Amino acid sequence: MFYRLSGVYHTRYQAARALWPIAADRWQVILLLALALAAPLFLSPLYLGSYLLPWMIWSAAALSLTLLMGLAGQLHFGFAAVMAIGAYSAIHMTRAGLPFELALLGGGVSAALIGTAFGFAALRVKGLYLVMATLAMQYLVDWVIINVPAISGGAQATLRTPAVSFFGLPIAGLEARYYLALGWAVLLTVFFLNVRRTSFGRALIAIRDKDFAAAVIGVDPFRYKLLAFLTASFMGGVTGALLAFCYYRAVTPEQFSFNVSIQLVAMVLVGGLGTAIGSFLGAGFVLLLPIVLTNLVAALGSAGILDVSQNLMAHLPLIIYGAMIIGFLLFEPLGLAKIYDNIRKYFLVWPFRHSRS
Amino acid sequence: MWYFLELLANGALVGLMYSLAALGFVLIYKSAGVPNLAQGTLVMAGAYAVWFFISLGLPLWIAVLIGCVVLFVFGLLVERLLLRHMVGQPVIMVVMLTLGLEILLRGLVPGVLGAAPKPLSIGVGLSPVIIGDVFLNRAYLWGGVLALVLIGLSLAFFRTRLGTKMRAVSDDHVASWAVGLSVERAIGLSWGIAGIAAVGAGTLWGSVQGVDWTLSGLLFPAIAVVILGGLDSIPGVLVGGLLVGILGSVIPGYLDSMVGGSTREVVTSLIILLTILVRPYGIFGREDIERI
Amino acid sequence: MNWLRRTTRVMALAAGLGTGAAMAQDAPIKFGLLQDFTAVYTFVSGEYNQGQQDYLALVNAEGGIDGHKFEAIVRDTGNQPQRGIEAYNRAREEGAILFDFLSTPVSRALVDQAMKDKVVLITALHGRGDASDGTVFPYVFPMMATYWSQATVLIKYLEDNGGLEGKKIALVHIDSPFGKEPLPVLEDLAGQKGFELKAFPYPSPGNEQSATWSEVRRYKPDAVLIWGAGGGQSVSVREGIRNGIDPENILSVVWLAGTDAKNVGADVMTGVKRFEAVSSGTDPAIIQRILEKVVEPGNGAGDKANVGSSYYNIGVATMAVAVEAARLALESEGAPLDGTKLKAGFEQIKDFDAEGLMPEITITPEDHQGGGAGRVSRWNGEAWEPVSDWGAAYQDIVRKEIEDGAKAYEGGN
Repeated sequence: MFYRLSGVYHTRYQAARALWPIAADRWQVILLLALALAAPLFLSPLYLGSYLLPWMIWSAAALSLTLLMGLAGQLHFGFAAVMAIGAYSAIHMTRAGLPFELALLGGGVSAALIGTAFGFAALRVKGLYLVMATLAMQYLVDWVIINVPAISGGAQATLRTPAVSFFGLPIAGLEARYYLALGWAVLLTVFFLNVRRTSFGRALIAIRDKDFAAAVIGVDPFRYKLLAFLTASFMGGVTGALLAFCYYRAVTPEQFSFNVSIQLVAMVLVGGLGTAIGSFLGAGFVLLLPIVLTNLVAALGSAGILDVSQNLMAHLPLIIYGAMIIGFLLFEPLGLAKIYDNIRKYFLVWPFRHSRS
Repeated sequence: MWYFLELLANGALVGLMYSLAALGFVLIYKSAGVPNLAQGTLVMAGAYAVWFFISLGLPLWIAVLIGCVVLFVFGLLVERLLLRHMVGQPVIMVVMLTLGLEILLRGLVPGVLGAAPKPLSIGVGLSPVIIGDVFLNRAYLWGGVLALVLIGLSLAFFRTRLGTKMRAVSDDHVASWAVGLSVERAIGLSWGIAGIAAVGAGTLWGSVQGVDWTLSGLLFPAIAVVILGGLDSIPGVLVGGLLVGILGSVIPGYLDSMVGGSTREVVTSLIILLTILVRPYGIFGREDIERI
Repeated sequence: MNWLRRTTRVMALAAGLGTGAAMAQDAPIKFGLLQDFTAVYTFVSGEYNQGQQDYLALVNAEGGIDGHKFEAIVRDTGNQPQRGIEAYNRAREEGAILFDFLSTPVSRALVDQAMKDKVVLITALHGRGDASDGTVFPYVFPMMATYWSQATVLIKYLEDNGGLEGKKIALVHIDSPFGKEPLPVLEDLAGQKGFELKAFPYPSPGNEQSATWSEVRRYKPDAVLIWGAGGGQSVSVREGIRNGIDPENILSVVWLAGTDAKNVGADVMTGVKRFEAVSSGTDPAIIQRILEKVVEPGNGAGDKANVGSSYYNIGVATMAVAVEAARLALESEGAPLDGTKLKAGFEQIKDFDAEGLMPEITITPEDHQGGGAGRVSRWNGEAWEPVSDWGAAYQDIVRKEIEDGAKAYEGGN
C-alpha cells in the first residue's frame, strides 16, 4: 500500500546502498524526526520530561548495547556499570573544571578503557560464561563506587551535576536537556545504521555468526571483539553521562545497579537483537510499559472496575508486564522489531500475501 | 585457628545450601540447554507454597510434599505451554522468556499471597552445634545434609533407565528424536524436578531469612555456583557450591575488618572471573567442540 | 509511526482515566504517597501505607479540617528513580502538594526537583538525614529521628543502663550507605564516652551473615547494634543469638518489627531492643478511633490484622503530622493550600504528639527533624514494651552531622 516498490530503480550503486531505498520508509523517518523535534511544542512537561526524554536516553543505551550483543554477539550483563563509569567520570571532570563537551568525551573514553577490560573475558569465554564474567565486572564496579567515598560523594552517596552548557547552550531547562538527549540518540542511530555497512560492522557480524569461521577468513577475533567492546563502552559511557546530566541531575549508585543492567538486556532482547528500531521499541517497552500499566491499573482501581486488595493492585502491573514479555516472545520470538518488520513486509506486497517471513 | 575452622565449616554448609538452589538450574540446562533465569523465583514460589500449606494448618512434611507436587506440575506446564513454542528459536530469546517468567512470578506470587515477609519454621532450634570453639549453624547443617542427599539422588537418578534417557536427550536433541526418545517429555521432567529442588531450597532458605520475594535473589549465588562448577555438571554444583561458600566465608572473615567494607561480593566475583579465565567451561563442565 | 501513535494513545488513555476520576471531587488536599510496594521496601510499605490511608480516611470521616478533605494518590514506584520521577510529575500535575516516597533512591533523585517546585517532601525514616537542616532544605521534612538521632538514643540508653566507660560495642551493619550512616556519630560518641566501637559489615541483601557473626562473637561485645532492614534484620537477630549474644544486648535501628519476631521465633527474640519513633500497638487514642470509625465500618485500606503494627503506626504518625501541618497552614495562611503554605504550616508545629502516639515534636525553620526524639522498646515475647522515656540525646553531635551534610549538599553532593 504505502510501501510502493514500483518506481524504485537503482541506477547507481549509492542508490542501491541507501539506508531507506523505499520512499515510505524515508517519509516515516522524516516524520518521526520532525515529531521528535517539535515534541516540546505539543507535549506537556510531564510527557516530555518523564516519558520522551528518558526514552531517548535509554534508547541510546540500548543502541550501544545492541551493537555489542546484536552485531558482535557478545553477551553483556554489566552494561549499567559501564554507564556508571561514564557518568561518574564525566561528573568528576566537570567538577574539576573541565568543559562539559570534553567531560562527555572523557566519560566515554574512561568507560571505553575500563569497559574494554570486560572484553578480555570475552576472548576466553562465550555464551553464559561471558554473561557471568560481565556480571562479575558489574559487582566489582558497584563495590568500588560504594566503597570509595571520593567517587560516590561521601556519606549520602550522591553527586549533583553542576550547571553546564553545551557549546554555549546552557543545559538547564527541560527543552535543552531533551534536545541534547535527542541529538545523541539520533547520532547513535545514524552511526548504528551505518556501521553495518562498513567493513568493521561486517567483521563484527562474522564474529557473531562464528568466530572460528571468521578467523579462517581473516577477521582477527581478538582485535574485533576488543574493538566491539571499546565502541559499545564508549557509546555507553557517554550515554551514562547524559543520563546523569540530562535526566537525573544527581548520580547515586542505585541508578546503575545490577537491575538496570538486566533492564538494558531486556530492552535489547524484547526489542529485537541488532536492530535500531528494536532498540527504540525495546527501550519504550521496558521503560514505559511498567509506568503506563501502573497508571492504568490505578485508574481502573479508582474507577471501581478493579476491586482487589491494595497488595495485589500494586503487583498487578508487574504481573501484566511479565505476561506481556512472555506473550510477545511466544507471538514473535525475534522481538518487537520483527513484528514491525512483518507488518512492513506485509504492506510491501499488499494486496498479495506471500513473502511473509 | 578455631576461627578459621568455623568460617570454613559454616562457609561449606552455606555453599551446600547455594548448591541446592543451583541444582534446578543445572538440571534444566543439562536437558534443555536453557539457562533458566526464573530458578530464583521458583525457589521463592516453593517457599511461598510451603508457607501457604502450613498456614492452612497442615504439618510441615505434608506441606512440603504438596509443595513439591505443585511445583512439579508447574514445571511440566511451563515446558508444555511456553518452552515448546520456542523450540528452534535462538537460545538468548528463550533466556528472555525465562526472564519474563521471572517477572510474572515475582508479581503473581507475592501479589496473591502477600508481600510482607512471612515466617516459615522448620523446627530447627537456634542453639548451635558446638565443637571446640566452633559454632555450627544447625539450620545450615540440615540444609547441607539435605543438599547432599538431593544431589546424591540426582546423581543416582541419572543412572536409572529414565535418567539415561534424559542424559541422551541432553547430549543431542535430534539424535534422541531419531531413536524414539521423547525430548519434550524429558525436558518437561527436568523442569518438574527443578521445581522439586526449588521447594527444598525454598523451605530451607525461607526458614533462615523468612519468606518474601527476596528469595528470588538466590539466583545470583546459584548462577555463580553453576558457572564455577560447570553448567551441565551435577558434581560441579557440589564443588562449585563448596568453593563459593568457603571462599566467600573465609576470605571476607579476615579481609573485611582490614578493608572496612564487606568484601564477599568482590571475592566471589574475582574467583568467578579467574576461574572462567583459566577454565572457560567451569571446573567440571563439558567442553563444547565447535565445528566451523 | 504506527507504534508511536499507538503508544501515545495508550498514554493518553492512561492519563485521561487518571485525571478524570480525580476531577469529580471538590478539590481535596492531595498527598502523593508514591512508594515502593514491589521491591526493596515491601517489608514496610504495605503496612506503612495502609496506616497513612487509614488515617486520612479517619480525618475525612471526622469531617476533614475545616471541611477540607484529604486525598491520597497512591502509586508503586518499584524503588526505581525513573518511575518515581514520572509518578511525581504526574501527581504534581494532579495537584499534590506533599510527597512521601519511602524509598531512599527515589527521594534522593527528587530532592532538588521538589525544592524547585516548592512542594513538601516528607522523608520520615528514610532519605537524607542532613535534610533536617531547614535552611538548606526548606521543603524537605524528615520530621522523625534521623538515623543519627536513633544511634544517639540507643547509646544514651546503654549509658543509662550500665554505663559506657570501657565497654565494647559492635555495630553490625549492611554494607551500604544506609548501613554506614550511624558510623560518624558513633565514633564521635566513642571518643567522648570512652567506649570501644567496631563495625562489622555484611554484604547486601543480608540473607547470609554467618561469617560476620563468627567475627562478632570473638570480639566479645558488651552490646551489639544491628543496622539493616527487611529480611536481613531477622537473620541478624538469629545469628546474634546463635552466637551466644544475650538478646538483651542486641539493639536495633528502627527497622525491626513484630513480623521479624515471628520470623525469628517470638519467644527466642525476647529481650531484643529497638529504637522506636512511634509507639506500636492499638492502645493509642488515634489508633482506637481508626479502628472505630474506619476499620469497623469496613473502610480500612488493608488487612485489619495490620492495624497497630509498628510500621502501620509509623504511617499513621507521618500523616498525623502532615494533617496537623495542613491545619496550621489553613489557620495562618488560609485556603487554598499550596506547597509554600504547607511548608509554613510544618514549621509552626509545636509540641505535637498525635495524642500520645509519638514523642512531642517541634519543627522550626532551622530544624526539620523535629527534635530527634524517640525511645527504646523491648520485645517481651508478645509485643514491644517501652523501656525508656521519649527523649532525644546528644543532639549537638547530630546537629554537627546535619550541618556538615547540608554543607556538602550545597557543595554539590
